[in-house]
Amino acid sequence: MKEMLKVNNVSKHFGGLMAIDDVSFSINEGETLGLMGPNGAGKTTLVNLITGKYITDSGSIQFLGNDITRMVPYKRCKLGISRTYQIPRPFPELTALMSVVVSVLYGKDRVNQSLDDAGYEATHYLEFCGLFSKRNVLCKDLNLYEMRGLELARALATTPKLIFVDEVMAGLNPAEAAKAVGLLERAKEHFGVTILWIEHVMAVLMKAATRVVVLHYGKKIAEGPPQEIADNPLVIESYLGSSHA
Amino acid sequence: MELEVKREKLVLRIGTQKYEWQIEPRYWLNPLIYVGILIVLPVLAYFFYPTLLPTLIDANLLAAIAIPLSWMTLGTGRMNFGPQFYIGAGGYAAALCSIHLGWPPPVTLLVALVVGLFFGLLMSPLAILAGGLYYTLLTLLFPLVFLELTFIFTDVFRGDVGLFGVQTMVNVGSFTLSQLITCMGALLMMLLYMFIVDKIMRSRFASSLAAINDDEEVAAAMGVNVNKMKIISFAIPATMIAVVGWFYAHYYGTFAGISYLPLAFMLKVLMVNMIGGRVQVYGNVVGGYFIAFLELLLIKLTGDLSPVLFPIVLLILLLTLPEGLFGLYRKRHYREYLPTLHVRR
Ligand SMILES: Nc1ncnc2c1ncn2[C@@H]1O[C@H](COP(=O)(O)OP(=O)(O)O)[C@@H](O)[C@H]1O
Ligand SMILES: [Mg+2]
Repeated sequence: MKEMLKVNNVSKHFGGLMAIDDVSFSINEGETLGLMGPNGAGKTTLVNLITGKYITDSGSIQFLGNDITRMVPYKRCKLGISRTYQIPRPFPELTALMSVVVSVLYGKDRVNQSLDDAGYEATHYLEFCGLFSKRNVLCKDLNLYEMRGLELARALATTPKLIFVDEVMAGLNPAEAAKAVGLLERAKEHFGVTILWIEHVMAVLMKAATRVVVLHYGKKIAEGPPQEIADNPLVIESYLGSSHA
Repeated sequence: MELEVKREKLVLRIGTQKYEWQIEPRYWLNPLIYVGILIVLPVLAYFFYPTLLPTLIDANLLAAIAIPLSWMTLGTGRMNFGPQFYIGAGGYAAALCSIHLGWPPPVTLLVALVVGLFFGLLMSPLAILAGGLYYTLLTLLFPLVFLELTFIFTDVFRGDVGLFGVQTMVNVGSFTLSQLITCMGALLMMLLYMFIVDKIMRSRFASSLAAINDDEEVAAAMGVNVNKMKIISFAIPATMIAVVGWFYAHYYGTFAGISYLPLAFMLKVLMVNMIGGRVQVYGNVVGGYFIAFLELLLIKLTGDLSPVLFPIVLLILLLTLPEGLFGLYRKRHYREYLPTLHVRR
């Protein structure tokens, strides 16, 4: 398997808080890497560092042979990195179709694509995420599940190679959560994307991920196949407190 | 480069880019009627009520300022409170070149374009660096500083009395005929701006602007080069507004910063923007005419009181019609394919 993303000894602090402390890991092409850890462990911060919202204090990040440590976010997107947000951030005043159109047009430099063409292509992504009937609804009027679908459509429309999914299941009811998981698995198949899947619920990643990285207080405390992680005393301790270890 | 005419579309290919232009003759009637009305109005005024011509010129020029301003507002995601700065820049550049160098209006137009673009580019980083309130305050400040400078360097700018002796644009002997031609010129410029900005608002470029306006960070994460879009949306409208300044200078034959740079003028422009429903291109035309005639009416009715009354009437209108006059129309003709462009900051 080819190495896609490589994170080397990355650190980031906010004031006195070490949000990410000397973390290294890599993602291989085609895998689903689970990123796990209790609330506040630094999972979202790590994604923000890789997608360019924040710049690392130290360490470096490589993506497909490019050093992206200090690259501006939109260039990282064009290289093939995309993401969804833990708390959905749709474009409130755009219609669902229009917000996907933006990704289609700007996610990558396309050849011979007019606004109308982008509209047709965007429709495809909306359809894939089950939002075709909502294409003309303003994003702010969608419900939480639909917003998450839209975020996925928007992320896929940039034609990413690597996609960060930040806690898709948070706030969804079990039926919706199951649908969301199914959707992600199909996305992997259809679009051949590599996924970094953030979740603080262990059970989901046990099934979906091929490998899991665990963060705790900004440090990587474990990495390995899901089963191994589930039995790791350090991980159990970080989740349940020391008395259960 | 290759142009292709399809049944309903004009397809233009330049290099690896493809642009499509919808041609839908069945939608042409209404715009043609509106443009027709705008052209007929000055002609009617010329024959029956020539004193209305200056008001019509004013209306067109106000709209010509407000239209690029709405593009700027959308593309930077911020309210610029100092559009009159560029009027001052373009106007003074044109007036000074005309007076001291004797350059004719077509040449001073180029000067105004260059000066407008220069200041536009110079100030555009503000839209990236300064957020919300700071941006508003700074843009509000610039015209006032400029005004102050016209008084300090009064031997250049004649801040007290204004610059005289600018070559006038039209001179055909008859005063009213000159005014009619000037009015047509103003209308032409306004329609040109409307056409350009309207096309831009229906383009792929506008989709990125709308995204920036909604959430800059997410737009960047989806591949939009936010800074570039902001600089373009700042510098080009600024240049377009500077050209209006050029027009003022050659229309009146004089140019005084005190007429345009103070807050009163800014208020008028912003009101046009708001009456029209901030980023509605056609709404700005409605707003421009509305404000120009409202001002005329208030001057007629109240004489000296109007500078006080004018903002009050406008405020009342704004409170009662938050979406603008044009918003009322749009509500009944809701077609949601293109983004509804709102301004949030
Ligand atoms: N912009 C920020 N400023 C200050 N502290 C932050 C910022 N972003 C995150 N943090 C802090 O960093 C820690 C990790 O946060 P986060 O990455 O969101 O955790 P997770 O996604 O794993 O729940 C938290 O303690 C959070 O309060
Ligand atoms: Mg998080």
